[in-house]
Amino acid sequence: MQDLLEVENLQVRLFDRTGPVLAVRGVSLSVGRGEVVALVGESGCGKSVTALSLLRLLPASAQISGSIRLDGQDLLALNSQQLRTIRGGEIAMVFQEPMTSLNPAFSVGNQIAEVLRLHRGLRGGGVRARALELLRMVGIGAADKRLRSFPHELSGGMRQRVMIAMALAGEPNLLILDEPTTALDVTTQAQILDIVRDLRTRTGTAILLITHDLGVVADLADRVVVMYAGAKVEEADVYELFETPRHPYAAGLLRALPGSAAARQEAGPPRLAEIPGIVPTLRAPLASCAFAPRCQSATDQCRTQPPLLAPCGPGGDHEVACFHPESAATVSA
Amino acid sequence: MSLAIVPDPEAMLKAAERSGRDWWRRLFHRPPAVIGLAGVAVVTIAAIFAPLLSPYSPVASSFQHILAPSFSPGHLLGTDELGRDVLSRLIYGAQPTLEVGLLATGLALVVGVPIGLVSGYYRGAGDMIVMRVADVVLAFPFLLLAIGFAAIFGPSLRNVVVALGIGSLPGFVRIARAEAMALREQDYVQAAIVTGVRDRVILFRHLLPNMAGPILVQATLTIPGAILGSALLAYLGLGEQPPTASWGTMLTAAQDHLFNDPWLAILPGLAIFITTLCFNLLGDGLRDLFDPALS
Repeated sequence: MQDLLEVENLQVRLFDRTGPVLAVRGVSLSVGRGEVVALVGESGCGKSVTALSLLRLLPASAQISGSIRLDGQDLLALNSQQLRTIRGGEIAMVFQEPMTSLNPAFSVGNQIAEVLRLHRGLRGGGVRARALELLRMVGIGAADKRLRSFPHELSGGMRQRVMIAMALAGEPNLLILDEPTTALDVTTQAQILDIVRDLRTRTGTAILLITHDLGVVADLADRVVVMYAGAKVEEADVYELFETPRHPYAAGLLRALPGSAAARQEAGPPRLAEIPGIVPTLRAPLASCAFAPRCQSATDQCRTQPPLLAPCGPGGDHEVACFHPESAATVSA
Repeated sequence: MSLAIVPDPEAMLKAAERSGRDWWRRLFHRPPAVIGLAGVAVVTIAAIFAPLLSPYSPVASSFQHILAPSFSPGHLLGTDELGRDVLSRLIYGAQPTLEVGLLATGLALVVGVPIGLVSGYYRGAGDMIVMRVADVVLAFPFLLLAIGFAAIFGPSLRNVVVALGIGSLPGFVRIARAEAMALREQDYVQAAIVTGVRDRVILFRHLLPNMAGPILVQATLTIPGAILGSALLAYLGLGEQPPTASWGTMLTAAQDHLFNDPWLAILPGLAIFITTLCFNLLGDGLRDLFDPALS
């Protein structure tokens, strides 16, 4: 079956004052109907740029190549009017920062109503009824009162719920969650994750989850795509990735989790593992493995030649871009 | 006694419902703003109810009472060189003053804000052209413009309004542009784009209400400038024409009697000064209200 979202060889070149930056270097990924795919990587690895390019939200100067297909429709070929029906109607996005993502000048009900009128063609009483239903769906109590609330009267967690309700109002097939819980405190995070999990089973919306929080990934995702320096370095089923990460970067990320097996086995006072070094700048095309300068198992080959994605493991749906992928043994040792 | 440290949800909801009234309360906590508001109210009432408030017609001359001093029987503030009641003329004079101030400011607002909004939101070459033109208008002496207008189209209130409106335009363009530039980076504007809202709706429904505060402040601070300008133009004979009562024309007439009857000049001068001051005080108060960082 054709996947809902198919991104092939996406390349994004952004321009800042000092010149071009190759922010995304040939990323391919797909999201099936009802599937939750997590896009993981540290700040600046291109995961947000990838997500923004799906909605063509990048600055006008950005150069995008490759193909992005939603239901077989090429998103990069749409004119601005077609784009408007996709945005909010087919693909909805929830941003990281709930405190600033709602318009302070309008009530919550007003903002949800706008989406309903725009994408569902609802009018009059139907708008209110549906808005109430959406607010209840995301676990907001006293929904009729909340419709009249203004954003400044709501807490961060409440606002993020409203953002999710707004995103769902257009009944999108794909929901992009850009670090949906990063700005929230831990208890609220857990509540939001519960709501997202619940919505997923109820509405069957596919979700592209962008995060650097592996806890969230483990909680929600079916499949994980690990990005590093603008490229996909590993892709695997969530269980498989957490059990046997192959790319040294993915393995390092997992080791850096508090309470991971590797962290517990350290001798002496517990200390979190870290990945030494910093992310390389993405000005020039890389003639080597981007991770090589930070990798303990890097060889001359890694420093002279970029590794390509290749299947590994038994299932064939685990891919890694590394000359020396870690084996299951080295991770658990 | 329990201190209200733990937020009570009911109380918070009530507080939120009160926030509309709260706005007024905060304004009333600033004495200068209250004085400004009161002064503006007095001038507005004088202008609207001039026929009811003034004891005489502003143009009725009485040759038995020429240049009567203040506190003379029947004429509280005396009469002018044609025996017209000064108090009545002062009250009626509020009309053209407010009219020009409001109309010129309104014109600048209605034209300038959309220009600034579009310019700041889209940036690019159009923005650069708009800003350079605004700089030119800003550098151009509006007085010369107004005199030119009067010379070409003849002196009239309408021409004064247009000239002063054009002079006040750059202020509104700049404010709206600056706000649009700041607001377009806001997450909620991005969120609106992601929702598929069309640009026109984003500009006027999502951006405009969020810049209402600064624009209102700019308007309140533009009105006194326009009032001063209109008084000046009237004084120069380029605005309202005698015998219409206006503070500017009263000044013109009074300069012949400056030594014998200085009050004829001082009173309209005071009226202009106090009105301008009150609008400025109100504008400052509003600015404090909308910009918590300043207060």
